[in-house]
Amino acid sequence: MAGLARMRLGFSPLVQAAALAVLMLSAWLPTAWTALLALGQASQPAGWLALFAAPQFPGALSLSIWTGLASTALAWRVSAWLMAQGFVHRRLSRWLQGMPVMLATPHAALAIGLVFLLAPSGWLLRLISPGLTGFELPPPWRTTQDPWGLGLILALAAKEIPFLLWVAASELQREDLRRRWQAEYAVTLTFGHSPRVAFKQVIWPQLAPRLVWPAWAVLAYSLTVVDMALVIGPATPPTLAVLAWQWVQDADALTQQQGAAAAGLLALASCLFGGLVWTFSRWRAASQRPVSYRVPLLGVHRLPLSSLAGASGIWLLRSVYALALLALAVGSFAGFWPFPAVLPTQWTTGAWQSVWQSRETLTITLALGMATSGLALLWSVAWFELLPRAWEPRLRPLLYLNLLMPGVLWVLGMHALSLSASLDGHWLGLLWAHLLMALPYVMLALSPSYPVFDARYAQLSASLGRSRWAFLWAVKWPLLKRALASAFAIGFAVSVAQYLPTLYIGAGRFSTVTTEAVALAAGAQRSLTSAYAWLQWCLPLGVFGLAAWLGRPRTFSTPLKAEKIS
Amino acid sequence: MSLDVHIQRLGTPGRAFIANMHLHVAPGQILTLMGPSGSGKSSVLAGIAGTLAQLNDAEAQPGRAPLSMQGSVHLNGQDISTWPTERRRIGLLFQEPLLFAHMSVAENLRFATPAGAEAERQANVTQALAAAGLEGFGPRDPATLSGGQKARVALMRALLAKPHALLLDEPFSKLDAALRKQFRDFVFSHLHQQGIPAILVTHDVLDVADGGLVHSLGTEFQPLK
Repeated sequence: MAGLARMRLGFSPLVQAAALAVLMLSAWLPTAWTALLALGQASQPAGWLALFAAPQFPGALSLSIWTGLASTALAWRVSAWLMAQGFVHRRLSRWLQGMPVMLATPHAALAIGLVFLLAPSGWLLRLISPGLTGFELPPPWRTTQDPWGLGLILALAAKEIPFLLWVAASELQREDLRRRWQAEYAVTLTFGHSPRVAFKQVIWPQLAPRLVWPAWAVLAYSLTVVDMALVIGPATPPTLAVLAWQWVQDADALTQQQGAAAAGLLALASCLFGGLVWTFSRWRAASQRPVSYRVPLLGVHRLPLSSLAGASGIWLLRSVYALALLALAVGSFAGFWPFPAVLPTQWTTGAWQSVWQSRETLTITLALGMATSGLALLWSVAWFELLPRAWEPRLRPLLYLNLLMPGVLWVLGMHALSLSASLDGHWLGLLWAHLLMALPYVMLALSPSYPVFDARYAQLSASLGRSRWAFLWAVKWPLLKRALASAFAIGFAVSVAQYLPTLYIGAGRFSTVTTEAVALAAGAQRSLTSAYAWLQWCLPLGVFGLAAWLGRPRTFSTPLKAEKIS
Repeated sequence: MSLDVHIQRLGTPGRAFIANMHLHVAPGQILTLMGPSGSGKSSVLAGIAGTLAQLNDAEAQPGRAPLSMQGSVHLNGQDISTWPTERRRIGLLFQEPLLFAHMSVAENLRFATPAGAEAERQANVTQALAAAGLEGFGPRDPATLSGGQKARVALMRALLAKPHALLLDEPFSKLDAALRKQFRDFVFSHLHQQGIPAILVTHDVLDVADGGLVHSLGTEFQPLK
């Protein structure tokens, strides 16, 4: 009789326990263990002493903090402004249409594309030279790899604005929040307040605290990015993350410890700055003071010109991405290309022939991406299906650890783990490393839809006599196919973009388009660099396109919605 | 088929909402369960359908104690208390029709008829569409149906599974007054015709079936004259 309440609509307890054990052992515990190992590597006193004694250290640290904070602040303010514009003018949905393309863009590919645009011999200057500038030769400017890190700040902001916008828009489109916030906004307007005030007083104070964690992830990434900084960041000295990466690859054990300490310091900086923002937001919430998250609302009115400003902002962002992609495409076929010619005077397929000759790189990238995203999706779905709701929200945050830890520190921990499992330099170890990197993104992509799927559908399906599997295959997964397909594409994009884990866990035995593109970016093979960077960009784009096609809603051949009959 | 429910206790570890409640519903009879919000009406239905654990799962929040129920459910004298929901053959109808948006109207109905020959399944679907007054609507997108049409499809889907009992969780509450009466009569006539015992949760006394029983939680049964 007591079984009445315990009976579950689902799998047998034995199957559930076994599956949970697999989930925990394959990813949750390794994530926790990786973090512990990483912290262990970073806590050796000799490494810290060597770090503080390194002559490049103060300059590199200052640069890291400057570029990290400035790019995060810029991304935050621009995305908040665009969010306000989009909300007030009801343009958000339209603006989000192109967002997956930007989200799918690997950091390194965008950086390489931007270098080809912004460099003194880049496209932007070619477009206006010599007509407007009089330049017959590239000027001796330092527009990329500049000592102030301005190019890196711009590149990071351009990459993170779409992410913050996407997270904010996901919150705004949540069924439970959307209606309430729209109603509150409408009520505020009826009091005679302007849209600007209504957004600032009602929507933004509720939205901003929800963006604290994503903003923290952006800050952590910006402080610790390596591949982008190698391509477009300052070089003398580089940022501390780049130095840490160079040090941990050194043959000398003390230098390796110094690198681990540098990565540990970046983790501390990330915790310190992120923690300050988080504490401030909690203090505001606890003290119930009027929230005053600053939102740049200049020009947020319902006037046509104001609407144009927001649209222009989005178009500018899209144009940067489109031009960078185009620059890579043209660059990959460029032979002789003297300054200031806008297009190459000689075209060649040499770069693509080289890519074809080393097609194993492409095969590895594709196979790794597909296997990683497939496994990550399977793992995430199993996680949401099998974990009791009471535990799940408590256990999930640990999976997001690698979003907050510096990449260099994380790969150190992962490397130690793969060594202890004898997977260092093996395909399986590399796949595992990519899986742990992709999991948090796939979980984040699924979390607005999968865990909140209406539980009554499952009850209804069971009441119709259908099994749990029948429900999953015939109802739940088809209804969530768009979210599942997007999550798969995101997992693939994350895998393709991996630079540090591929080099370090793969022990240099596996080249992907990303490792090739970043390695080539330091050299002078412009066309080959462009070809690999273009591939690095287009592979995820192709998978996103496929995901959009697979996730498209079904179209019914018979009457349209407009012909409702009552 | 008759439905007998005995609830020894329904509640959280610290608080019992319902204790020692007996419900008997004869074939074709509709028992109405009334009571204020939070009195446990929907939880009783979940306990009978075997979906209480899932209800707990869906509403799990840190610090919130799960609901549990001790008691028994008998269908025609057979104890089904330990059976999983999919074996109990107890249909559910919610406030929203919950038609599956990716399936056509006919596919929604076919989902409830998994067994049997293809021709028989097709005939059942056609018959159900006709009974709902929706001939020719089979290939349609459920989103193109009106509220009343959706509600009728949801009922037909529940009935196609040949349930031994039906649990109705405020299925009329979102319909306008005219449609509400129309749909209520439609549901009750089908339940009477097919001799299916049903328990209806509602806040509206107008929803009570003629000759049906009303149980207000915490009070004795009151046969409605």
